[in-house]
Amino acid sequence: MIRFTESTLKDGHKSVALIGEADIYTANTIKERLFQAVAESTGDFYIDLAGLEYIDSTGLGILVGVLKRVRERGDNVVLVNPQPQVRKLLRITSFDKVFLVKEDYHE
Amino acid sequence: MSNCQQVRTTEVVRLEIPALPAYVGVARLTLAAIASRCGFDIEALEDIKVAAAEAVTNVILHCDCSHVQIEVEPCVDSGYFVMRVSDTGGGFCADKLEKPNLAEPSEEGGLGIFIIRSLMDEVEFHSQAREGTVVVMKKRLPNQLEDCSCQ
Repeated sequence: MIRFTESTLKDGHKSVALIGEADIYTANTIKERLFQAVAESTGDFYIDLAGLEYIDSTGLGILVGVLKRVRERGDNVVLVNPQPQVRKLLRITSFDKVFLVKEDYHE
Repeated sequence: MSNCQQVRTTEVVRLEIPALPAYVGVARLTLAAIASRCGFDIEALEDIKVAAAEAVTNVILHCDCSHVQIEVEPCVDSGYFVMRVSDTGGGFCADKLEKPNLAEPSEEGGLGIFIIRSLMDEVEFHSQAREGTVVVMKKRLPNQLEDCSCQ
């Protein structure tokens, strides 16, 4: 199960919050929603992970797809407030060096 | 009742699920429920959930199988929580898999086995061409069970 909430930050950047689980079952839904949000956004793209309880390699692959699309236009992807297990996977895959990872929006 | 009384060596759990994405969560939560009886902390339980899901996801993505077999030995003499994920697909050679380029990751995946190996204490692949693959994943049992009489 996965849910989304989209918001526009004060600086105009778009943020999409993922709430639930990112795995092979939810992958297509997440990919469609995030890629569409990227296409509709400008500047750095924020993904709020505070509500993401689970991610695996399928979900990480989608984040890479988002990163490639955002970088093509010269911007960055910011992952905000990942939960401990998500943060652990970002660390062991070294994705915490590929993405910008922040504790909150003000960091 | 202690953990030792709850889980015995002879308790082997066998689960067969359709090789469909909708059932990965079922496998994940079932294995976490079994592992939680062995006294693992939350981080280890999450490791077990992810590793099991990666193995099942690999079967769904890469094998032309209708079902995935999962076998769990929660508390064995070796002191490990052992999971086996089996398929009847074409088999593959894990040693010949290219290591993922973590500096330039691919959105096409290729991280599943790397993640399994990172999260579990021991991982073995037993594969035969056209006969299928068994992935054996072991997680060392928590300290409080090492001295107990689980055998």
